[in-house]
Amino acid sequence: MPRVPLRLIALTAIGMLLAACGQSPGDPRGSAGSDGEKVLTISAIPDQDPQVLQRQFSTLSDYLSDRLGVAVKYLPVTDYTASVTAFQRGDLQLVFFGGLTGVQARTQVPGAVTLAQRDIDANFHSVFVANTKTGITPFDSVDGLSKLAGHSFTFGSDTSTSGRLMPQHFLSKAGMSADDFSGNPGYSGSHDKTAKLVEAGTYQAGALNASVWDELVKTGKVDTSKVREVFRTPPYHDYHWVARPDLDEQLGDGMTDKIKKALLELDGSTPTEKKILDLFEAGSFIDTAPGNYAKIEQVAQRLGLLN
Amino acid sequence: MTTTCRWEAAESSTVDTPPPPAPERGTGATERSRRRRGWALLITAAIVVSAVAAGIGRGAVFKPEGAGSLLDFFAAAVSPRLDASFLALTGTAMLTTLAYAVLGTALSLAIGLIGGVLSSQTWWSSGVRARRGRRLVGWVFARSVLVVPRGIHEVVWGLFFLVVFGIDPIVAVLAIGIPFGAVTAKVFSELLDETGRKPYTALLAAGATKRSAVLYGLLPPALPDLLSYGFYRFECAIRSAAILGLVGAGGLGFQLALSFQTLRYQEIWTLLFALILLSVAADYWSSLVRSARARGRRRSRDGGGVRRDPLLTGSLVFAAVLIGLSSWWVGLDVAVLWSGKAWEFGLQLLSDAWPPSIGDSGVGGLLTLAGVTLAMSIVAITIAFGLGALFAVPASTPAHGRDRVERGRVSTAARMLAMLASRFVLVVLRAIPPPVWALLLLFVMYPGILPGALALAVYTTGVLGRLMAESVDNLEVRPLRALRAHGASEAKVFCYGVIPAAAPRFVAYGLYRWEVTIRETVVVGVVGAGGLGLLLDHQIGAFDYAGALTTLALLIGLTLAVDITSAAIRRSVR
Repeated sequence: MPRVPLRLIALTAIGMLLAACGQSPGDPRGSAGSDGEKVLTISAIPDQDPQVLQRQFSTLSDYLSDRLGVAVKYLPVTDYTASVTAFQRGDLQLVFFGGLTGVQARTQVPGAVTLAQRDIDANFHSVFVANTKTGITPFDSVDGLSKLAGHSFTFGSDTSTSGRLMPQHFLSKAGMSADDFSGNPGYSGSHDKTAKLVEAGTYQAGALNASVWDELVKTGKVDTSKVREVFRTPPYHDYHWVARPDLDEQLGDGMTDKIKKALLELDGSTPTEKKILDLFEAGSFIDTAPGNYAKIEQVAQRLGLLN
Repeated sequence: MTTTCRWEAAESSTVDTPPPPAPERGTGATERSRRRRGWALLITAAIVVSAVAAGIGRGAVFKPEGAGSLLDFFAAAVSPRLDASFLALTGTAMLTTLAYAVLGTALSLAIGLIGGVLSSQTWWSSGVRARRGRRLVGWVFARSVLVVPRGIHEVVWGLFFLVVFGIDPIVAVLAIGIPFGAVTAKVFSELLDETGRKPYTALLAAGATKRSAVLYGLLPPALPDLLSYGFYRFECAIRSAAILGLVGAGGLGFQLALSFQTLRYQEIWTLLFALILLSVAADYWSSLVRSARARGRRRSRDGGGVRRDPLLTGSLVFAAVLIGLSSWWVGLDVAVLWSGKAWEFGLQLLSDAWPPSIGDSGVGGLLTLAGVTLAMSIVAITIAFGLGALFAVPASTPAHGRDRVERGRVSTAARMLAMLASRFVLVVLRAIPPPVWALLLLFVMYPGILPGALALAVYTTGVLGRLMAESVDNLEVRPLRALRAHGASEAKVFCYGVIPAAAPRFVAYGLYRWEVTIRETVVVGVVGAGGLGLLLDHQIGAFDYAGALTTLALLIGLTLAVDITSAAIRRSVR
């Protein structure tokens, strides 16, 4: 057994711990704000190209910090469930949630406030796509979804509004249930994966976020000779900013209103504002009300997604 | 170098393996061979049933028209995204992943050391006054407590710790440290039981307390083996830290999850190469230390005496520095462990989860899903076992020194090339996380149990192939030398020397990974593979903690069953 210079190790360790008082580059809690300073923690889970926003979030947090006069730190989270949990715990105070996750968050945090939505969120769609080999042709009415019976089908992520919840809602409007598909419906995990799996013929049909689909078609990332849009759903409300009810208490009176104002006043008039809106793929942020998500809440309730 | 084999063997051995009572002479051999035949029959039946359940033999399995999408992924490997900003991002992510791996390993070693002592037979069988019954109860209790963390996947641990501690570096450290700690404790206890007990009993006889006897009599002689195992565990922790990014831990896993969501293959490859680089570096470090230890042991056996090993000492100092740097890098603050808020949320979680609920599918539905998970794991491990064994031989180190048969330079070079190529393939197989494999396979297969099973099989092949290659390296060379000396051809040496000697170890590794595969089914469940994994995913997404508790209990039950079964199989192979 070699003799180990324990003292040396202990000393080094202590030295390292002392050095550890500086900033931590890898800290998941972010690095903005020092002791005692007021900090607003925010996050967002966009559907489309989330990696772009998640990797360039400082644009947004700097803007908000400027407007609000408090330090703002952005915590990147990819997982829907994780973001709701963190919001419920108060680790995240302001989050750009999806329709369903927003409803889940407000169920778990009574009194949470819906602040704003993007202009495109007021008029959001899902598309149903089918592999061209199925011979399913585009249709205009919700009832046409019954044509999907007997085919294999995939949703996106199981807590996605446009990839699962609303498609399931429209399917049941057309009298379709999970048993009508061939095999169990799949959960691909994301909109891009749904498009790719239907293109590859793994599933004969699927449903995804319309704006992701449009982008995939526009950039040629899907082969439209193999997969095509067969139905675009009626509009519904999707993404929205949700704030915790105790924001004013923690960050000063009127903070919630100030945030709302800062978001609504983003009009792209400066390069920074333009960049933020681009990151969110939005033309502007507009007002919204909790009632806009009543439908989502109903469907979620029925599917047992609110606990 | 033989130590690795023992660890793996220990990992795969079970809660309770007292040697079976010695059968009477004469009947022993037939009894054993009958039992072996019985197991062989059972295993074959289990594989056939699982294969049928997975849908093999019922219509088409592969669909070649999706091959283009699969090729797109691998084609991107030659053009990873290499612009400066993305490289900087990857570099930072790499350090974060490394930091979590270091801290997680440190915690798992601490747990392993304490848990290992407490669950070793040595600890419970000493103490003059202790009663037999109480000792047995204590030992069985300590060992079964360790099954719980092992049955739950790191990602699931991560999500639960996230509820309790929020977005905090401690989440990832605990998520790696606790399940790995349980495995480590099991291995450490086996190692401690194998260590000579004489210094320990001497100290006890001299009146030392049990604690100080362990500290001064039992741990020091076992320390080198324990340390080497720690290095091995570190390498596993890197892969694990890369999967944990999902739960807000950051690092390569987080970036991988982002790029994977939108299928940016070129970014995925940059991140995968970073992951490969980290694991190769860790592997190299651990093999350096291990071979230095092996040399040291040989020297001391030859009468050179025990001497200080500068490499080991240096490694220890370096490890301590790394722990310090890592806690700084991720901003670790253990005070959060006893913060009131964490306790409040922890208790809240418990009250939400209790009592566990059966859910809509009922007991029958749950058992069906458990069956699917079991079938998936059996198909996966069967395929991985076969492929791993195939890779093991070319991936093992070519015979060296006196044992080398005179061969042309060309064939030696070819052999080296084969070794490097197969090792590289194995590294890539295990660097690509199972969920990515699952999607890739879905491109060319129809959804169901099979693509999930194959995804796990491919990944597990990467791990098993490496372990098996190492066991081929560690084979006793004397029988092989004897065969060669008698003029046996290389093929014959392989058939009659290598295979019989390596087979039991291969089986031990395979059984050990089978248990791990059960746990891993959770991460491929989401890609149309079904089973308990998909159910758990839905339950967590719906915040149905009471349902999730039931599912986890089933998974732990499966792990325990697999653990007991593999111990029985190993006993009959031995």
